[in-house]
Amino acid sequence: MFKSRLIKSSLHRQFKRSQNADLKAYFQAQIPLINLPVKQTPLLVLDLEMTGLNPNLDQIISIGLLPLIEGKIVLAQAQYKLIKINGSVGQSAAVHGVLDQHLQQAVPLKEALHWFIQQATGKVLAAHHAPLDLSFLQQAINRHLNEKCALFAVDSLDIERRRILRRQGFIKGGELRLGECRERYNLPVYAAHNALTDALACAELLLAQLAADSGINKVKISQLLR
Amino acid sequence: MDVSELQPVRDFVSSLPPFDILSDQSLRLCCISLSVVYYSRNEQFVEVDANERQLYIVRSGAFEVLTEQGQLIDRISDGQYFGFSGMLSGEKVVNKVRILEDALVYLLPVKIFDQLRAASRQFDRFFNQAFAQRLRHQGAIKSKNINTSRISSVVSADLISIGSSTTIQQAAELMSEKRVSSLLIIDNNKLNGIITDRDLRSRVLAKGLDGQTLVKQVMTTDPLTSPKNALIFEAMLQMSENSIHHLPIIEDGRPTGMLTSTDIMRSQSSQPLLLIGQIGRQNSQEELIAVSRQIPQLLQNLISSDAQAQEIGRILTSVTDALTRRLITISQNELGEAPMQFCWLAFGSQARQDQVAGADQDNALLLEFEPDPGAQLYFQALSQAVCTGLNACGYSYCPGDIMATNQKWQLSLKQWENEFSKWVNTPQPAALLNATIFFDIRCIFGSYSLFESLQNKVLNKTKDNDIFLAAMTDNALQQSPPLGFFRDFVLERDGSEVKGIDLKHKGTALINDITRIYALAAGIKEVNTHKRLVLLKKSKFINHQDAHNLIDACEFIARKRLSNQGYQYSHSQQLSNYLQPQNLSALARHQLKDAFKAVHEAQAGIKLKFLRQF
Repeated sequence: MFKSRLIKSSLHRQFKRSQNADLKAYFQAQIPLINLPVKQTPLLVLDLEMTGLNPNLDQIISIGLLPLIEGKIVLAQAQYKLIKINGSVGQSAAVHGVLDQHLQQAVPLKEALHWFIQQATGKVLAAHHAPLDLSFLQQAINRHLNEKCALFAVDSLDIERRRILRRQGFIKGGELRLGECRERYNLPVYAAHNALTDALACAELLLAQLAADSGINKVKISQLLR
Repeated sequence: MDVSELQPVRDFVSSLPPFDILSDQSLRLCCISLSVVYYSRNEQFVEVDANERQLYIVRSGAFEVLTEQGQLIDRISDGQYFGFSGMLSGEKVVNKVRILEDALVYLLPVKIFDQLRAASRQFDRFFNQAFAQRLRHQGAIKSKNINTSRISSVVSADLISIGSSTTIQQAAELMSEKRVSSLLIIDNNKLNGIITDRDLRSRVLAKGLDGQTLVKQVMTTDPLTSPKNALIFEAMLQMSENSIHHLPIIEDGRPTGMLTSTDIMRSQSSQPLLLIGQIGRQNSQEELIAVSRQIPQLLQNLISSDAQAQEIGRILTSVTDALTRRLITISQNELGEAPMQFCWLAFGSQARQDQVAGADQDNALLLEFEPDPGAQLYFQALSQAVCTGLNACGYSYCPGDIMATNQKWQLSLKQWENEFSKWVNTPQPAALLNATIFFDIRCIFGSYSLFESLQNKVLNKTKDNDIFLAAMTDNALQQSPPLGFFRDFVLERDGSEVKGIDLKHKGTALINDITRIYALAAGIKEVNTHKRLVLLKKSKFINHQDAHNLIDACEFIARKRLSNQGYQYSHSQQLSNYLQPQNLSALARHQLKDAFKAVHEAQAGIKLKFLRQF
């Protein structure tokens, strides 16, 4: 309850203070959403690929978005954007399969941020290990749109952590990785990795988590936000 | 968005028949139109929205489709579908879908499904309820390949080769040891030449070279070669145009074997007409036994030529018939003329002309009168010679002793009539077991008019004989075909899962039983199941659609049975009718399931017609 009130007041404050029209609309639309039960909340599952793990030093390479609405992942509305970066993708190319030549189709980060905020308006964000993705987005918004903001998202990793702790009281190494989480729900193994397939993998995991825990549907979405 | 970004979805969908035949454009449309849902076992049943019809594609997990009354229709897992029957018929869905395991499912909206069906006839045919069309279409594609045997079916599997730096003496030793007339000369996996018997004669002995001469000095370099998938006909042409007798076989750039003109001759002599001609020319039992050794190869050639199963059955049976006739003639040459008119009768698979590998003997004698002791001796000697001969040719004795050597089955016309009357009038279980064998009857040798009078009498007894036909029907319903497949198991109608299926007893035999009942009811003389069905269709005794479905199902199951035996033969396994689902492609599973469904429906048909039961 306490957390839920904190988030609500944060959203109100950001809506009032925001100088950016897109962000203002985004925060305004968030306020009524956070009181909904999970199943009725339109979610936007997101995944970012980055050049590294430090939001102060590393850059966003791509963004994958996939809406999850009324219990269905709508593939027709899947979206994917490559982002222009400074320098080369270097080492991380091996992980994400993003080559320098792909980046020729890339858009500037500022443009991508406008697009992202518009896509997210009216939906609640969701990601696996959401704090990392959110910190990169907050950093980018701070730099390119000159706004200090705090974003919230449903985190499938956090849901899984709570579930495992409830069950066995401790977490083993690697148990919370996306692939391992999916295995526990008998979800298929995906070989390819990019921002969109990982968003799909996360969205499917969320569906499975929501189906497995009937209690989770009784709580408001704000209880799940991080 | 580029669809390739959702690679996992596309990869999965494009691996499933019939989505695997869609154009890139249709596949893309399909993939971006999907939505993904998850069903937990806690929910028990899938809630089907009657207003929003869609195809359910199972990505992972398991379901059970049940009728409104809870009877099992199908069990479904990864890569299978449900929900399409309602989409095709437009009728309200009444079937229930139970969730067996947590499942991830792709949903395809009816609008897109219809667009895909409109864009591809093959796609449409797959889902269309007129599944018989699907089986038939498959047949049409296949039978185009008839009579186009390929090299791969005749060339021997082992590669006999030697390096070019060995001596010709070593080469000659290897040739004698392996009993071959030629060697491939291979260095570092590369074909450098060949050496033949003739080379050893004309290039070594005739030139006075000694055994220490190196192979590379006398071999034929850069020989003509042929790809493994070439037609036998093409290889024959290549050999005769170049006056050569040896062709190295190349597969993916590597030598894999040698095709010789002897291989080709041997394969051609297994052609049925040649074989039957050969049988007619033999003058002793021993010679016939030698000729009969070609029969397994003939069967394999027929299987690999993709001939229709019912044609293969007829060809193989005509060889059996020819052997039987020749054995009779040869022993009559010794025994002299028969003391009276007689017929050599065949029952069961030989009568129906659907023999496959390892058929038993089922035969008997029909005599003009009851034999006196002298006649009895004659027929005993004749049948003894013929049945022993058939046994030696690979047709083992009938375990139930339904054979011409058994005095119980050396009967006069009158006695046979009495036997048949007993079976027809008192349809006891044992009598019905006989009926399935004895009512498929054909004259192989002897007086055809004698045979015809028996057949007319029998059909007069069975035609429109309600009690007999009801008993036959009851007997034919003792076995039922499976429902389909679930993962690597065969799914029976009672929901149990078994490891394999007997394609004879749970497939072709059921169709034979159903068809026999109709044929006896209609008084049709034909005994071949395919021909019986064609006649029944023509005389409108069975409706057009049902006859078609049964013909297709019969052909499909019989072909699967044959190709399964072809697989067993090529893997040196014991030949059997037992099929294990893990060797089946997804498409073959769908087709077999359709065929089983046709058999099940035909069983329901005779139940209604002859037992007046639903």
